[in-house]
Amino acid sequence: MAQDLNIELVRVDNRLVHGQILESWVPYVKAQCIIVVDDNIAGNVFDETVIRMAVPSEIDLIINTVEDFAHNYNFSHNKGKNTIVLFRSIRDVCKAYELGFHFDKLNIGNIHHEEFKVCCSPSVFLCDTEIEDIIRLLENDGVVVELKRVPRERAVNIREALKGYCNLSP
Amino acid sequence: MIGVLITTHGNLGNELIKAAELIKGPLSDILHISVDQSRNVEDIKKEIGNAIKKLDKGKGVLVLTDLFGGTPSNISLSFMKEQKVEVVTGVNLPMLLKLSEVKESMTLREFACFIKEHGQKNIYVASELLSKKALG
Repeated sequence: MAQDLNIELVRVDNRLVHGQILESWVPYVKAQCIIVVDDNIAGNVFDETVIRMAVPSEIDLIINTVEDFAHNYNFSHNKGKNTIVLFRSIRDVCKAYELGFHFDKLNIGNIHHEEFKVCCSPSVFLCDTEIEDIIRLLENDGVVVELKRVPRERAVNIREALKGYCNLSP
Repeated sequence: MIGVLITTHGNLGNELIKAAELIKGPLSDILHISVDQSRNVEDIKKEIGNAIKKLDKGKGVLVLTDLFGGTPSNISLSFMKEQKVEVVTGVNLPMLLKLSEVKESMTLREFACFIKEHGQKNIYVASELLSKKALG
């Protein structure tokens, strides 16, 4: 059963649902639905329960694997419930993109990679493959990538942040 | 003795402990772990796991955390599987001041409920209180 969803925010955040989402982004985009896309959490009763408890009951919560998510919904820009889509990693969001979940803008909130090569902001540490994936989104797919923890913060320019690492056209 | 772990955004928990100690004197069997945005969730999880192990003297550990749904709370909840951990959210100073009144006979669950009720009971709108006093 396909459901129309008005995608207001696509975000990579390794904390998934947490304070910044519930207290800042939900009111900012007037979210009526949150989708957590994560292969480890989908189907894990305990982890799903913890997230369900945290999300206010008036907001729909969908927890899906990357594949199920990409195949099961109709994504629109002005039809259906205002929706926040959360991924734990750049890899997962790119996989969803490849499977047909297309978006114009990607928000990056918190990523802490152990073997990071570039620290773009106090909450974003990227490794080589993550940077390659981001460059592909930027250059090949024309996605706008925005580094911003909360809506009322000034975004870090990703091209600027990666300047020392590689050359990107402005 | 039931151990107490405070997990909060930033240094809030540490400051709460300092404030409580100012009023009550040194608190024992209590630790604080700060969750900030420059740290990896897995590292914080490990640190919280170690603190729980250290604090558990057989009767379990009460985790006091600031915001339900926040990262400190989410990570703390993931330790509830073991039945030796109880989590109370919305930590405030009155709760901390009450910690030393835990009775030996209390179970972890009873202790958690006792602290929750005390924290809730100690929130007032002053003018409501005054009008009640004036009328009473």
